[in-house]
Amino acid sequence: MATTTIGSATAIVGMGRALGQRDDPDGPKTPLQLGAIAARRAMAAAGITRAEVGALFTGRTPQSYMVLQYNQALLNELKIGPTFNTEVTAHGGGALGTLQLAALALHAGVIDYALCVTNEASGLWMDQVGSNAAWEGDLQFEAPYGPSTPSIYAQFACRYMHETGTTPEMCAHVSVENRHWALQHPYAAMRHKGPITIEDVLASRMIASPLRMLDCAVWYPGGIATAIVLTRADIARGGRHAEATWLAGFGQCSTHEWVGERMGSWGFAPLEDGPNLVRTGTALAAKQAYAMSGLSAHDMHIAQSSAPFSFANLMILEELGFCPFGEGGRFAADGGIAFDGGLPFNTMGGYLSFGQVAQGLYNLQEVVDQIHGRAEGRQVPGVEAGIVHGHGGPMACHSVVILTREPTR
Amino acid sequence: MSFAPQKVDWSRGVPLRAGDWFIGLYQPSPETVGFWDAVQHGELVLKYCPACDKCFHPKRIVCTDCGSADLAWRTASGRGHVYSYSEVHRAPSGDFAGSTPYTVGIVALEEGVHLFTRLIAEPEPIAIDAPVTVDFRVLELGQLLPVFVVGAA
Ligand SMILES: [Zn+2]
Repeated sequence: MATTTIGSATAIVGMGRALGQRDDPDGPKTPLQLGAIAARRAMAAAGITRAEVGALFTGRTPQSYMVLQYNQALLNELKIGPTFNTEVTAHGGGALGTLQLAALALHAGVIDYALCVTNEASGLWMDQVGSNAAWEGDLQFEAPYGPSTPSIYAQFACRYMHETGTTPEMCAHVSVENRHWALQHPYAAMRHKGPITIEDVLASRMIASPLRMLDCAVWYPGGIATAIVLTRADIARGGRHAEATWLAGFGQCSTHEWVGERMGSWGFAPLEDGPNLVRTGTALAAKQAYAMSGLSAHDMHIAQSSAPFSFANLMILEELGFCPFGEGGRFAADGGIAFDGGLPFNTMGGYLSFGQVAQGLYNLQEVVDQIHGRAEGRQVPGVEAGIVHGHGGPMACHSVVILTREPTR
Repeated sequence: MSFAPQKVDWSRGVPLRAGDWFIGLYQPSPETVGFWDAVQHGELVLKYCPACDKCFHPKRIVCTDCGSADLAWRTASGRGHVYSYSEVHRAPSGDFAGSTPYTVGIVALEEGVHLFTRLIAEPEPIAIDAPVTVDFRVLELGQLLPVFVVGAA
């Protein structure tokens, strides 16, 4: 593996969030409105001016604001003049990818401040189920067969359960624990639904075998924008900024486009040995991130994933190093991610109970809040380090970021 | 609006407007039109690299092994086995709602290529590793498609 000095070379010094709901007194907001508001809040938190934004990186164009070059729309609204700007699109994995690109530009010394923004308001404006089904499959070779989004992920689930002996009951632990965390969050989509049990999950309506309703992500009913300001270590330490959260390590790996062709994708890491549906790019992304940070899974006090189904969260826990391959189900069933006493995992509720929106960058914001003791009502004591996994569908693109309270290098 | 492939001359026969860019991808493109032509004749074809004697997914443009773009079409045996599957209970759109439950899956062909498809559970039930044989049926969008029937031919 290539060596790098980029671990802990950059830090987050400002964050902003904007939330849009259907019943907002002034009406629902577009992703551009939310993105602009969040960006200004992040710049204010960091204490930087428009003129100081050296780079702008946006995640994939919002599904509810389909323009070419969304980054241009946002920079036009913010009236900034970055010397480096682009969309970062590894499907949803690009949301964390914005921070990775920011770190590269900052570490190279070509900019002093980077602004990263993802935003989505599809819950306010769109038929999310129908739209997403059309966007999760190859339009010629898959969509005509009528796959729903869950049925595409179910191809992975079917093989994963077949090859590892993971049962629906084991998977259900993810749904139950995610819900438990969501009940602590004021804005979680499923907060008002109350707690659920393993039996509830196993008795919920079949959506696409083996996935039942409570195995699936819920679409966030509103809109969210997350904005992050990053800078270099020397500036972060210079006394100008009130707070720093260190980008200790990161990694990324993508393996394919659509599921139907995934089985033709192999001969490269992490699919050296042949095609399969049970491994993802996460393990390699995590390996890069751990090496960069000098930390291991054992050092992580908290973990977040934007995996959109119960079984997929188990696969990700394995690949992040919290348990051996194929053991995710048994890890979860044995209390490995239990709200009481397990690894604090998806502490906002994850895609299953907080809701899927804006490529899950809220998960990164959650780790920053946890590290600085701001996670009201769900604060995990003593969080020094946390890992965030960003997923781009279907199980195709994987980004990992490790954040720490203190620099690790 | 129909998503059924037509014999289009990519971007010339049916000029695409900016707003149609997504719909355009539903149509046979120069690298896939041979596949859809063959389907009309009840034939399943794969991309084939003569230099490597290897078959690929019908979308492939360059050979994974040697990098050649001189890929030919080769008729497949139409036999394989179920690699993975899912029974769809909630349809993605109204077009498919009347057909639930139906099964979509991935088949492993004898030629070493995997295809996403509709699996038909007759006469045998669907299971991983069950043998399958190609058939051609008009599915919900009115489009003639290769599907796979469980059971050896
Ligand atoms: Zn070749």
